[in-house]
Amino acid sequence: MAPKNDAQKIAPETVLDFLRETMPFNELEDDALRELARHAVIDFIPKGSVILRQGETEVEHLYLIQKGGVKIYLTNDEGEVSLKDFRGEGQYFGALPIIQNARANLNVETVEDTFCFLFSKAAFRHLLDTSPKVSHYFLRSLSEKLVNTAYAELRRHRIAPRTESTLFLFSTQVGSCIKGKPQTIAADQSVRRAASRMAELRIGSLLVTDPGGAIIGIVTDKDLRTKVVAAGLDYQTPVTKIMASPVQTIPAHAVCFDAMLRMMRRRIHHLAVEKQGEIIGMITTHDIMLLQGTSPLYLFREIVAQRTLEGLHPLARKVPSVVRTLIEEGAKANNITRMITILNDHILERLLTLLMEDLGPPPLPFCWLLMGSEGRSEQTFKTDQDNALIYAWPENEEKREAAARYFKMLSERAIENLVACGYPLCPGEMMASNPKWRLPAPEWKKQFDSWIRTPEPKDVMHSTIFFDFRGGYGDLSLANDLRDHLVKSIPGQELFLYHLARNAMEARPPLSFFRNFIVEKDGQHRNALDLKTKGLVPFVDFARIFALKHGIRESNTLGRLQLLHEGGHISPEMYNETVKAYEFLMQLRLFHQLFKMEAGEQPDNYINPAQLSELEKQTLKESFEVVRRLQNHIKQEFRLTER
Amino acid sequence: MLKNLLARLGLTPPEHPLFAANHLYFRGLDQNRPLADYDFVVFDTELTGLNRRRDEIVSIGAVRISNLQIRVGDSFYAHVKPARSLPKDSTLIHRITPQQLKEAPALARVLPGFISYCGHSLLVGHYVGLDTAFLNRACRQYYGSPLFNPCLDTMILAQSYTEMQWSQYHDRFRMDISYNLAALGKQYGLPEFTHHNAYEDALQTAYLFLYLVKKMHTMGITTLKDLYNAGRGWRRLF
Repeated sequence: MAPKNDAQKIAPETVLDFLRETMPFNELEDDALRELARHAVIDFIPKGSVILRQGETEVEHLYLIQKGGVKIYLTNDEGEVSLKDFRGEGQYFGALPIIQNARANLNVETVEDTFCFLFSKAAFRHLLDTSPKVSHYFLRSLSEKLVNTAYAELRRHRIAPRTESTLFLFSTQVGSCIKGKPQTIAADQSVRRAASRMAELRIGSLLVTDPGGAIIGIVTDKDLRTKVVAAGLDYQTPVTKIMASPVQTIPAHAVCFDAMLRMMRRRIHHLAVEKQGEIIGMITTHDIMLLQGTSPLYLFREIVAQRTLEGLHPLARKVPSVVRTLIEEGAKANNITRMITILNDHILERLLTLLMEDLGPPPLPFCWLLMGSEGRSEQTFKTDQDNALIYAWPENEEKREAAARYFKMLSERAIENLVACGYPLCPGEMMASNPKWRLPAPEWKKQFDSWIRTPEPKDVMHSTIFFDFRGGYGDLSLANDLRDHLVKSIPGQELFLYHLARNAMEARPPLSFFRNFIVEKDGQHRNALDLKTKGLVPFVDFARIFALKHGIRESNTLGRLQLLHEGGHISPEMYNETVKAYEFLMQLRLFHQLFKMEAGEQPDNYINPAQLSELEKQTLKESFEVVRRLQNHIKQEFRLTER
Repeated sequence: MLKNLLARLGLTPPEHPLFAANHLYFRGLDQNRPLADYDFVVFDTELTGLNRRRDEIVSIGAVRISNLQIRVGDSFYAHVKPARSLPKDSTLIHRITPQQLKEAPALARVLPGFISYCGHSLLVGHYVGLDTAFLNRACRQYYGSPLFNPCLDTMILAQSYTEMQWSQYHDRFRMDISYNLAALGKQYGLPEFTHHNAYEDALQTAYLFLYLVKKMHTMGITTLKDLYNAGRGWRRLF
């Protein structure tokens, strides 16, 4: 008897070690891993060889790159080549054709001498069938559009519904929260009748209907308290006198988070739920709070209830703890930044209201402008103040002096108090306390015009901050007018757009080929990646340039992208990948900042790629790849030549 | 007596059926086919020392290459109990514990498995002469015949490859190049190997072989004969 050949049962440690460190194989149990390693075939493909040919090669293996690198590209009917991707160590190719059971969808060519582990079609399919984690990884990492059918099919067979939707706010539709039909009261009824009916039904609001049965308004218990009892109104007054109209509605398919945002924004407690043009019920802040233990609504209520400036100061510092709850519950970065923005907006509103109670009413209508990330509603934890002030044109010298005095006082005290709330000063002094940025409306327009017509480098820099403005408090029509002016002025200003485009090319994505990230080389952030300037800013720049070019009023980056997409200014593919990459980078930054703050450090934008998971690293690389594509798009659109 | 001697030298067909078939197959081997058509067994042995008369094999590791791809699953690894008791300071075999060797089968029991594993494959090793010397000594001892599988030496292939890369004559005699396995791996940018036993070393040699053969393919080395000639050309110089 020959001794048993043990090698049939063992797999080389070298292969195992590699798989153990590679997504998603590291998710496998040791037995499965060894089984996989035993089925591996190792191939060497010299530099410059085409491994897969688009539309031709029957793909028999999944290729996992052990060493070396490949480029992936498409060839169209005219023979033009467009580069799609680089893949390096630990990355794979060939998965999609195997999942789709189709020929190679792309060309793959080695750009270095490359060693690959090959796993047979059958072994890979077996892996997808037996390991939900692995199949989830592959399906998730392949573009959703491409694998749509295969994905749906596999998911049906293999993957149990994900349990991430434990979060009420983001998973529950408003429609499922309502407790039956809305209660109504006819328009000619008295407020006394309304009060007794509410008491009877133990509810806090009634919808008011006209004789035709159409809903024309809403009365709430708060209206009864403030507009009737406190104001000493006759109880026989018809409800139409005190009702709020029109009724604020929300579609039944919206999630509770949206309902909460809308209520917070409008400072109301009731929303009518609408389905196919019909009001099917009501949702209240109470409904949401009941279901959501630690709710941002509590903080929100604390903010709006504050009667003193001193009381307001500590509240802004509570924002992170609220956000933490949202993150734990799986909220997306976009929702979180919107929430932070709303909370900050309310703090600002409360602050300025209290200041004006102190200073007396303003001599002229004014509007507090928010700029930069605040203007884009994209605030995170670390947000320097970027604000300005616009006021109506003073008709005479007396008014001019009064305005100058009053708004100087108001803005200086506002900035002081904002600092006390924990919003750091803007190092560039782009704040309303700076007289340069506290102007009457016509002078703002003149200022904007001069930046657009004769763009000096500094003007371009200013425009990237100022042109993202929105009205934060006060007479919003002043801000809207200014936006109108801007939207009318920019399209066609090729020189300005050209400079803006050049400016957007400054941030090079930190992608050195595909193996390593370029990190900051010196200083305190050595080995760290500046997620903001290298990652997020290019997206913001991209959205700004094209929004300004196409006369879009929106200032939020995702909002701009959506409008650009809807207007046909960017392709659906570009829109999808851009949104995905941007959201990922925002999420990454938010997590990083929260982590820092909980460790008692100052939140910043520097992450160390070495500390990221394999999946995060890959997604990060893919996101930077998107940055590269966006910049190429800008380059082509504005005919920039490579410097 | 003479017949036996000729057989031991591999000059006449051996009597043992396993070796007779081996001899017959390789006598008729067509060397003009493309390299991808042949199967290779890349192997390595661990020895108690370098003395070809006294020292012994303590482990054999091997991996097969078919279609010029390494078949990880089709591999061979066995520990071998040496006939003599190990010297106390057997530093050369630090990769295997004495206990493992005590429990291992003797070479006479490992050999048939390895020979049939090699089958019709060509043998490849790094400085393969040393390994085959030990292997054939055992084969002669137990079966009265050496193995007839042609052998390729990756060290010589690497030297040939280096020579082919250099057009300038004087470079041919550069002596500052190390041809040991790890150094070559580094020089060619092959994946790194951190584990070491006969099996891992065989795998590392297989990587080197694959690299050399495919690189040399682009220089016109396409058949087995080409590969032999490339190696021989180099040897003639020395």
